[in-house]
Amino acid sequence: MSIYLLAFILASFILILSPGAALQFPNGDPRQPGDASLIGTIATSWKRIPLTRSCLFSKSTDFEVHRNWLAITHSLPLWDWYYENTSEWTLDYPPFFAYFEWIMSQVAKLADPAMLWVHNLEYDSWQTVYFQRWTVIVTELVLVYALQMFVDSTHGVSKRAAQAAAVSILLSPGLLIIDHIHFQYNGVMYGILIASLVLAKKKSSLLASGLVFAALLCMKHIYLYLAPAYFVYLLRVYCLSPKSVFRIQFFNCVKLGGGIVAIFAAAFGPFALRNQIPQIFSRLFPFSRGLCHAYWAPNVWAMYSFMDRLLISLAPRIGLTVKVDALNSVTRGLVGDTSFAVLPDITPRMCFVLTLLFQAIPLVKLFMRPTWEGFIGGVTLCGYASFLFGWHVHEKAILLVIIPFSLIALKDRRYLGAFRPLAVAGHVSLFPLIFTPAEFPIKTIYTIFWLVLFLMAFDRLAPAPTRQRLFLFDRFSTIYITISIPLIFYCSLVHGIIFGKSLEFLPLMFTSSYSAIGVVGSWLGFMVVYFTE
Amino acid sequence: MAGPSPHKPRRKAKRAGGNGPSNLPVIMEREALVRVPSFPLAAFLWPARSSVSQWELLPLILMVVGLFRWAAGLWGYSGFKKPPIFGDYEAQRHWMEITTQLPISQWYFHDLEWWGLDYPPLTAYHSWICGKIGSLINPAWFALYDSRGSHDPTLKIFMRSTVLVSEYLIYIPAAVIFVRRFSRLSGVPTWTSSVALVAILMQPATILIDHVHFQYNTVMLGFVLASMSSMLAGRNFWASFFFVMALGFKQMALYYAFSVFAYLLGVCVFPHINIPRFIGIALVTAVSFAILLLPIVSGTLSEASRGITAHPNGAHPPLPLFADLAKHLNTEAFYYPVVEQLVQMIHRVFPFARGLFEDKVANFWCAANVVIKLRNYPAELLQRGALVATLAAIIPPNLILFLRPRKHLLPLAFATTAWGFFLFSYQVHEKSVLLPLMPMTLLLAGRQGLGKDTRAWVGFANILGCWTMYPLLQRVNLRVPYTVLTLLWAYLLGLPPTSLNAYFQDGSSIWSQWATAFIHGFFYLTMAFWHVLDMFVVAPKDKPDLWVVANVGVGAVGFSLCYLWCLGSLIIESEILPTSWTGKKTKAKTQ
Repeated sequence: MSIYLLAFILASFILILSPGAALQFPNGDPRQPGDASLIGTIATSWKRIPLTRSCLFSKSTDFEVHRNWLAITHSLPLWDWYYENTSEWTLDYPPFFAYFEWIMSQVAKLADPAMLWVHNLEYDSWQTVYFQRWTVIVTELVLVYALQMFVDSTHGVSKRAAQAAAVSILLSPGLLIIDHIHFQYNGVMYGILIASLVLAKKKSSLLASGLVFAALLCMKHIYLYLAPAYFVYLLRVYCLSPKSVFRIQFFNCVKLGGGIVAIFAAAFGPFALRNQIPQIFSRLFPFSRGLCHAYWAPNVWAMYSFMDRLLISLAPRIGLTVKVDALNSVTRGLVGDTSFAVLPDITPRMCFVLTLLFQAIPLVKLFMRPTWEGFIGGVTLCGYASFLFGWHVHEKAILLVIIPFSLIALKDRRYLGAFRPLAVAGHVSLFPLIFTPAEFPIKTIYTIFWLVLFLMAFDRLAPAPTRQRLFLFDRFSTIYITISIPLIFYCSLVHGIIFGKSLEFLPLMFTSSYSAIGVVGSWLGFMVVYFTE
Repeated sequence: MAGPSPHKPRRKAKRAGGNGPSNLPVIMEREALVRVPSFPLAAFLWPARSSVSQWELLPLILMVVGLFRWAAGLWGYSGFKKPPIFGDYEAQRHWMEITTQLPISQWYFHDLEWWGLDYPPLTAYHSWICGKIGSLINPAWFALYDSRGSHDPTLKIFMRSTVLVSEYLIYIPAAVIFVRRFSRLSGVPTWTSSVALVAILMQPATILIDHVHFQYNTVMLGFVLASMSSMLAGRNFWASFFFVMALGFKQMALYYAFSVFAYLLGVCVFPHINIPRFIGIALVTAVSFAILLLPIVSGTLSEASRGITAHPNGAHPPLPLFADLAKHLNTEAFYYPVVEQLVQMIHRVFPFARGLFEDKVANFWCAANVVIKLRNYPAELLQRGALVATLAAIIPPNLILFLRPRKHLLPLAFATTAWGFFLFSYQVHEKSVLLPLMPMTLLLAGRQGLGKDTRAWVGFANILGCWTMYPLLQRVNLRVPYTVLTLLWAYLLGLPPTSLNAYFQDGSSIWSQWATAFIHGFFYLTMAFWHVLDMFVVAPKDKPDLWVVANVGVGAVGFSLCYLWCLGSLIIESEILPTSWTGKKTKAKTQ
């Protein structure tokens, strides 16, 4: 089955889904402080979440963010882009993304020029909604094309598996929820990432792979998390001789280095002319933000914060001191400082060191045995490490792990065993992003549909491994997946019926902890698979 | 239309009860040779061809069609923010309001002007259940009088979910079972029948009317499907029970009544007369009606004994129909409230006093009205004319079904009869086109159902049907779901305007192929041209309805062709004519 055919169905589903919703659900201001009284300490960190998130479809915060960027890039001179701050949603993506917005704004002015006024905050005429939705759908064709490249690059028996993996990425509930309901342009950027990963498969296109990735970095800097794997792989297979690591292929180094410099110059050069680089960097890397995002992404820090919350109530009994000023300030709002009441505070430096450490471990192996599968595995593990240990990680970043992993999940059953809990946990963790009753059936049924379809298909397609599997791990993942069904059911329906509006943090906490277990478990499992390969 | 000769040997094998490979429809044989899916929907399900059981595929199909339904439901409904009287959505909500808030004996007597209850009692019971559940969530949604015209977004979600749940409880199981039985009967493999099931469930007209515009047609259609499915299984008693339920939900099911009657009578007469079966069916039908009326009758009796009368002010107005009846009855007797109740119900359900057609409908009368101003003729003459024309249209298919009560003829006969009613009867609504479309779309699950010829005609009828409902949908700003769902369905089945794949089948007569392609091509082009006109050209001032009238005229002609095609196919399939005739007959019917 051709991916292009499928893209049509998906596009029509999204089309019917999003503008309709946008027209029917005019929402209140998403960013109202909503200062509810604090019920208990755990509650404080969790209960604000629905308030900081906009009510879905039309005016999700990201929808307004991108409208604002269209306006900034269209109506201001280049050198004002990174200084403009009328809206609180300032431009904080690298320049290629800004250029991308500028190109779209050229079309946007035909649709409705009013959306391009910088001061026209929260503007959402139906033309604006349709236009923005359409841009996401149209630019996602890049992903479709990249997936077709991926399918074309595989031959023989694994072709069907590659097709299944490609279709699973295209239909990913993550992309549906984040891009088409919440609103972002991940489709196009993951398309570029996949294209780059596929280009790395052939020796002749390694250079292109590196350059495409460099361009991607200039579009969204979150992909820096994956850069170590690229660095190690390209260094080993492109810059060093295949026979000996001590023989450097100078001409290749010059080509790659020159190309990367040229791409960065194209992106940042115009700003460097006016010394704006420090300003851009302060926008791109806002370390003033808290450790955890408003809603805790299911990573190690979520578990850490959870432990801290637990210890607060236990502290008096076991004689620990509680820092009083930290009690009321746990991850409040979008940009808040996190401080822990019992456990030691975490600094950005610690996060950085831990992330690099856990990225470095698999990369050593990649350096020793540089295969394409190993490279994709390395990229995946870099994604894992940064998601699990990174600073201010957003739950949407889970795609950074799921998407590269999908490309190799069907290699054999051991890979699939590690992929399964991730697929469940990653997608369930996105549920709190959208939460109105109207969207509830869409996110749950769609995700369940995806999980049933692909876990079933993958199960048939993944070949038996050449090495012994850890059967304990299989048990774990089966039990884990089974638990997701009552969990979704409880969080979405039962909780509301039993408790109504009170204790709203509970379902969110369950979701986050459940997902954290899955992501960490799948990370450990994949590490084992990677090192025993 | 496929020529008769290539079919003959296969059909004979079928009648001999052979189940061998020779029995497979041509499309499968060709697929086996070429191994390429012939249209996109088949391509999507292609990976499931082998080694996937139906029980794995079915949940996935149901999830996908459910997602499309729910997503479509995010759009507005009829009468959204259209005071003073709103639309069908308000009608259904209002019925939940009156059934939960008023004593049962007053349901059919309450204020007619504000969407008075004018559907049969099963709809009322259904509204009562939905209203009770909804009141648990938020009693304000159905507060008497105060809730009128409510546009609470949460209420909308609740109402949408009632449609979806009702459909998943009735229509969808019925469709799944029907498709299984019908495709087995026709010797179609499971995978092919799954493709047909998706096509049937994704029918754009049903989704647009029920889940977007807002109605509960699928409940009635589901009961009819259940009835047809029981006929396939040979359970004639269940068939009559389900059909009575369909009638009890929506009087529109009468479109099918003649076919149900003809078939059930046919199986009692052929191959030999079976009196016990006849009596059994009659008894079951009577008992089903009794069950249907029992709640309202017993409710009326008990309320009358407690002094609650149907008329809130205690008055005793004369009976609205059969006024003479009151002379023979004692108005103070214990049974009189029941008589009054039933007469009132009939009066509400069958509003004889209305005109020949209400709005612009793509049926014969409305189209003829463009040429001759029918309103100038006396109403009685028109009523009689409609009766005669309808009978003339429905007698041939039902006579065939009576003489040849074969299971595989059911969808065709139902479709032909419903087209006859839709085109010629009295008081037709444009949404009634769902009734002929339902059985006609079922043909996809039959023998050769996904072959080009059937697919082209079923697709044509469905797309034309959606197109004639466009003026209705456009009034409530539903252009986007209309466009997306219709084009999606056309794309899935490889139909124009997305593909010409459904035309020019190898192996059938070149004349009939060209004729079909030419006729359909003409209609598709007209539809496209009409959309362009409607969008960019303002109708002349003195004829503001010009585009709608053009739509009606084209639709009526197209639907007449669908009627003729169904009738022609029915004649051929039933083999009621000597084979030497049928070749000629086909051409006459399709061209």
